[in-house]
Amino acid sequence: MPVVTTGRRGLRAAAFTAFLVLQLVVFWACVAAGRPTLYALFMPLSAAAVALLGRRGAFQVIAAALGGVLLIGLALPVLLFVSRQDPGLVAQKAADPDVHHALYLAVYAPLLAALVSTGLGTPLALCLRQPFPGRALVESLVDLPLVIPHSVAGLMVLFAFGKGGAFPGMTMLGTITGMVIAMVFVSAPYAINAARQAFDAIPPRLERAARVHGARPLATFVRVLLPLARRHIVIGGVLAWARAVSEFGAVAIVSYSVRMFYPFTGQTVTAQHAPVLVYNTFISEGLPQSGAVGLLLLGVSAAIFLIVRWLTGGRSTGSLL
Amino acid sequence: MSCVASIRARFTAPGAAPFELEVEVGLERGETLVVLGPSGSGKTLLLESIAGFHAHGGYVHVHDDDVTRWPPDARGLGYVFQDYALFPHLTVEENVRFGIHYRHSDVDVDALLRRLGVAHLRRRYPPTLSGGEQQRVALARALAVRPRLLLLDEPLASLDRPAKEALRHDLRALLEGVSAILVTHDRDEARMLGDRLAVVRDGHLVQTGTVDAVFDTPADEFVAAFLGYARLPATVLPAGGSNGAAVLCLRPEAISIVADDAGRVAARVHHVVREGAQYRVSLDVDDVAIDVVAAQAPAPGERVGLTWSDADGHWLNERA
Repeated sequence: MPVVTTGRRGLRAAAFTAFLVLQLVVFWACVAAGRPTLYALFMPLSAAAVALLGRRGAFQVIAAALGGVLLIGLALPVLLFVSRQDPGLVAQKAADPDVHHALYLAVYAPLLAALVSTGLGTPLALCLRQPFPGRALVESLVDLPLVIPHSVAGLMVLFAFGKGGAFPGMTMLGTITGMVIAMVFVSAPYAINAARQAFDAIPPRLERAARVHGARPLATFVRVLLPLARRHIVIGGVLAWARAVSEFGAVAIVSYSVRMFYPFTGQTVTAQHAPVLVYNTFISEGLPQSGAVGLLLLGVSAAIFLIVRWLTGGRSTGSLL
Repeated sequence: MSCVASIRARFTAPGAAPFELEVEVGLERGETLVVLGPSGSGKTLLLESIAGFHAHGGYVHVHDDDVTRWPPDARGLGYVFQDYALFPHLTVEENVRFGIHYRHSDVDVDALLRRLGVAHLRRRYPPTLSGGEQQRVALARALAVRPRLLLLDEPLASLDRPAKEALRHDLRALLEGVSAILVTHDRDEARMLGDRLAVVRDGHLVQTGTVDAVFDTPADEFVAAFLGYARLPATVLPAGGSNGAAVLCLRPEAISIVADDAGRVAARVHHVVREGAQYRVSLDVDDVAIDVVAAQAPAPGERVGLTWSDADGHWLNERA
């Protein structure tokens, strides 16, 4: 019986690979012929055809066709964006020190932000497990950055921590500190909510079993809660990291360009956060040049996305939040 | 009593009516107290309150220490949860050793694992074990801390029959000399494992005493019914309630089925279920349904007589 199952699984994987290869071949053919429109039609139709071949019934076929239409909206930008870049320009931009600085900054500052979000968000998530007066208010505060326009978030960070704000000694404009604070503001909800979900998924009786057999709250956290929640907390941290990498609005306002130490040359350089650099290039040099920078940033984002997929064991990141 | 728990608390949950718990129970050192009651009678909440998981307006004494204000980790308890609650990320042995160094327990873990028959599983992880094995590990974890008071929440309820019978047998020996409170809804478990019995209903204590005293003289019809007594209202008895009492309680095995005209009351056989080597015969006495345990099975629909010895009867003054 297991052999049969494995065989079926292998068959399914092969069919899926074949489907993917077919999509890429048809896509390439359509683009080469200068008719990407044809591929836009082919995608939902092929999805419906697969449903039809699988004898899934009319309802499933219609669902696959409609879902396929949305998938064009998601897949076409990626496919056409990647395929329409000028390799020469990409190579030129890949050699540009400004781009190096931006990509380094795009990994480094968000990583700091993610560490802060996770390090402080995990205790907060622990507190949010028990009901207390004002918990709803704290929950709203946690989710607030998700609904605030990010440029406004940047302004709020400046008003709070910039000149005349809470910490007079702190420079926000044009510093890594400002950039990281802006990133924490927009990315912390992801780390906090992932940690909350992780703790919620642990049955309360496990914590009780630890307490009643002698473990104090800290020992219970270290020996039971943390090991069971660790994976999701890490995933939340990586999501916060990815969110900070992609942040434009708040960073553009707080730290349009920052002075930072670039370890690969040992110099202090002026750099821009990669999304800001993409926008800057778009305004000053045009679409092809910004596309090339964008492709490089897309590579960094894709790498982080793949890390998340790997950590979640192939499950969709959407189910996490 | 060396351990006393007097719990008064009101539990509220969204979407449910508030639940009042008001129970006082006690036991002597080394005794097993069984708290018996139907599902939803507050047995688990009682144990959780004793363990310190809920705020309540009562007190808990463990071997004459007032632990009411102590955190759960300081109370010196062992706890066996109904659904095991083993740590899934720790091996069997790590689970059992979990509390040892907090309690400075000198317990021989190897011997304990062997005694519970799970020594061969020590490197396995709980999710790979059967229910019976998990419950044995949970028991080992609770005993490993040398608990001053062991709390067991329906330790056999989620096990299949062979696992249940095997563990019930072992549990008797394991509880020897351990001060323990065991909650269950199973009267056979109560009789087999308990020294002292407390019957609870809707969060309130109905009767308490030694197991024999409660089983022999149920305080009211609810307890009698829950302990498996056949109940005959005085109205169906030819002599009526002799002393003005309302209900006669008899153990099903104390009633004999005889010929139609030879019994103290007449009855009609409703149905018969085989129970081991005997039969559980459900009868109607007028419109009152009672169960009798008999060696021979009469035919459904047959008219029979029932008789018993007055010494086996226990009279209650009120109907439920």
